[in-house]
Amino acid sequence: MTALQPAPARTEATALPIGISVPRKEDERLLRGDGRFTDDVQPAHLLEMAVARCPYPHARIVSIDTSAAEQVDGVRQILVGADVLARTEPLTVLRPVPGAPKLPYYALAQEVAAHEGQPVVSVVATSRHIAEDAIELIEISYEPLPHVTDTLAALEPDAPVIHPGELASNLLVANPEGAGDPVVRLAEADVVVTDRFHVNRVTGLPMEPRAVVAQWRPGARELTVHSSTQVPHLMRKQLAEVLRIDESSIRVSASDVGGGFGLKLGIYPEDVLAALHAMTLRRPVKWVEDRMEHFRATTHAREAVHDFTIGATADGRITAMTNTYATDLGAWNSGFGSAQLSSVVFTGPYRVTDGYVERRVTVTNKTPIGAYRGYGQPEVNFPIERLVDRLARRLGMDPLELRERNMLRSDELPWKAVSGAVYDSGDYVRCLHMAAEAVDYAGLRRAGRGPRPDGRLVGVGLSSFVERTGYASARFLARRGSQFGAHESVTLRANRSGGVDLYTGVSSIGQSSETAFAQVVCGVLGIGYPAVRVHAGDTLGSPLNTGAFASRTMIAAAGALRDASLAFREKTLRIAAFRLSDGGSAGPVDPADLDVVDGEVVHRTDPRRRLRLSEVFSIAILGQGLPPEEEPGLEVTAHFEPPDAAYSFGTAAAVVAVDPDTGDYDIERFVMVHDAGTAVNPKIVEGQVRGGLVQGFGAALGEELRYDPDSGQLVNGSMMDYFAPTAADVPPIELLHTEVPSPVTTFGVRGVGEVGTIPPGAAVANAICDALADLGVELTRLPLTPESVWQAIRNARTARG
Amino acid sequence: MTGFGATEPEVDLTTTVNGEEVDARVPARLHAADFLRHRLGLTGTHVGCEQGVCGMCTVLVDGQAVKSCLMLAAQLHGRDVRTVESLATGDDLNPLQRAFTEEHGLQCGFCTPGFLMTATALAERGVPVAREEIREEIAGVLCRCTGYEGIVRAIEGHLNGGAA
Repeated sequence: MTALQPAPARTEATALPIGISVPRKEDERLLRGDGRFTDDVQPAHLLEMAVARCPYPHARIVSIDTSAAEQVDGVRQILVGADVLARTEPLTVLRPVPGAPKLPYYALAQEVAAHEGQPVVSVVATSRHIAEDAIELIEISYEPLPHVTDTLAALEPDAPVIHPGELASNLLVANPEGAGDPVVRLAEADVVVTDRFHVNRVTGLPMEPRAVVAQWRPGARELTVHSSTQVPHLMRKQLAEVLRIDESSIRVSASDVGGGFGLKLGIYPEDVLAALHAMTLRRPVKWVEDRMEHFRATTHAREAVHDFTIGATADGRITAMTNTYATDLGAWNSGFGSAQLSSVVFTGPYRVTDGYVERRVTVTNKTPIGAYRGYGQPEVNFPIERLVDRLARRLGMDPLELRERNMLRSDELPWKAVSGAVYDSGDYVRCLHMAAEAVDYAGLRRAGRGPRPDGRLVGVGLSSFVERTGYASARFLARRGSQFGAHESVTLRANRSGGVDLYTGVSSIGQSSETAFAQVVCGVLGIGYPAVRVHAGDTLGSPLNTGAFASRTMIAAAGALRDASLAFREKTLRIAAFRLSDGGSAGPVDPADLDVVDGEVVHRTDPRRRLRLSEVFSIAILGQGLPPEEEPGLEVTAHFEPPDAAYSFGTAAAVVAVDPDTGDYDIERFVMVHDAGTAVNPKIVEGQVRGGLVQGFGAALGEELRYDPDSGQLVNGSMMDYFAPTAADVPPIELLHTEVPSPVTTFGVRGVGEVGTIPPGAAVANAICDALADLGVELTRLPLTPESVWQAIRNARTARG
Repeated sequence: MTGFGATEPEVDLTTTVNGEEVDARVPARLHAADFLRHRLGLTGTHVGCEQGVCGMCTVLVDGQAVKSCLMLAAQLHGRDVRTVESLATGDDLNPLQRAFTEEHGLQCGFCTPGFLMTATALAERGVPVAREEIREEIAGVLCRCTGYEGIVRAIEGHLNGGAA
């Protein structure tokens, strides 16, 4: 670990080292192969679990015969639906769908399984091999039931109702929101553009599959769960609810998590099953998801159909936006359910006062949908930004000019959008101009669309966005029934080596929070970076918190880290002042004259008076030599809830060359201009934006989970068939940042974890449609495969005769 | 059909792993990645798909980067195996590892051993590799966090001697 330069005496407590790209705390162990992922935990006497899953999209379970499997040497226990019903509650939900009935969902299917891959039987044996051998011997008799996998078909009157006990149709609930009078505004509009947009079903595909190791000590009533989770404390709450035991009996530990992206939010059936086996067998039980299971049993994402409409005056003022969309829930309500943010930001960065949005949550016989990086924001950016371009063409305006005309100005912020979202601050137009300049938008316009000598046509496309990061307070969450808060919490504890132990419930999923947290503590406290040790993701020692999702960790944690560090610093200086004054005999020392510089407390004007932190911390821990009235110990816990969400923003610009005969295209340039407010660590910010962009390109350009409508089977559910981008598939990406501090967060930070997923689809689609504007091609479906572009060209040519 | 556990066929093997000779008796169907991880405790080699696609399990066998989920442990007999645990010396990361941290070539770190071993094999070939070729050469390992830029920069710098 490279040490920071020792800080000189500072006048500003927060001057260092926020804003510096220090080396990551996480790197050394991960580079040495010394991370501790869940499958690396191997307790003695370990048993392993395997799960038999429903092969049908919808089926009644007629009978289960486990007798042959029970005879296999090494098999220790087999559980079926009835066992789970007797011993557990249905899986609980962290973010319920507002206004929707509950869909009781047990860890093993009861009479009916509602998607391919739903767990039906679990087996524990002395090895995974043997558990899987045993599953081959289990006879499960199914009666296939009528199924529906298409989102819109599921809403048709003749569709089979998937949960007839709870619902009259497959519409779980409709959530409308809006303001003003969009119906009247649309009727008055000079121009109205409208279309239906299909957003593909994809998966986040973290490189580490899900995994759990559960151990139970009956005498101690202690369940220890190692899990690959983004939310250890929330998982603890859910396990207590489902297993009917007290939270005090449960410890959840997530050491290193190999990517989450929203898929590892809360418990899954296998977590409950591993715990149940471990508690009844009194032996540790491990389950590691294999990749075939992952494609069928870990939440999918994004799938939605948006009917979007924009009205405008003839001179290009947008007067109304409406968006009615069906979001695919899959068969059950997962921990976070289908995306909710498409409604929050459906008016984008534009000055829209009259709007209406309706979210129609739709049940289908597919793997449940859950949170995934962006959580509705990439989905809605595609229709908004595609229609803005179409509106520009209808009006005979340039898309850049139309955006500029309707974009909110800095002095109009804060702005309450029609969804109720309050955009805090920013300079949206500057980002738009920076993106346009970076790709030489004016030059491209002058040069025209071609064709080039090779026959290809050239187009440029823009996508502008605002992104909600963090949460708009616990009150906002309470109105939606969310089972978590908006705050973060940290504990700082001194140790006798002169270091500070930082305890957080935020697990390390790749977001670099160990590094960024330590930076804030160093900045406020003045201690050296290597002296801060972060203990992350274990409920045993960390204060109750919320977790790593919604680009919210730093937004909330920065305040908790600052508050804890300030209190810690003050006490450190009081103790040091007392010691340096030798109980008064060496002349009084005012704590305000002292500073912490790396490993020492130093007097600002008399630097000969100094004390090592190890000495100060020892005084506190021993309670020997404290000032009168001072409590022994040096440990601070702070909780912090930001007053509102921070909205990040930006514009992306894509330049493409399209072959109008084949539909094949190259992304020749892609510029992303983005504002994440104050960057605690610029290198980490860049890494987050780039990583999000490449996931965004994957979803926009190629990834799609396809179901066969007749059989209801997932047809490409393996790594061989699902094309996540490799290093060779990434288009050139140029990043530009602005840095407008948010007024609603500590230090002015905004979230940065998800933003990259938002603009690729619309920017690239707009560029392709720009290149093909003379043909009148309008792309309305993701992903943008060359085949789909070719089909759109063909359709446009046919339509024009 | 009963008694799988009792009749599980086993094989003996002798192999060299990170410079040390290893003798083992293993189930015939045990794949090499599980052998390294759970029999030898070398958990730096990860498993992501067991189909030879994701590259998390990449190790060096006789100097070649291979996907150890596609090999049986028995096939390591008589071979020389190197894993990510062989790269650092004592407390010192090797130049390739240092290049990864300097270029922010890792986030969650699950794929990192796969990239490090792939790049180690590439470096040992001793021929210069251009940036676009690096992208092709490492396309057998997937990363969902970084967008690959930091990884490519780190490997490029290392191959060109810049990050030593």
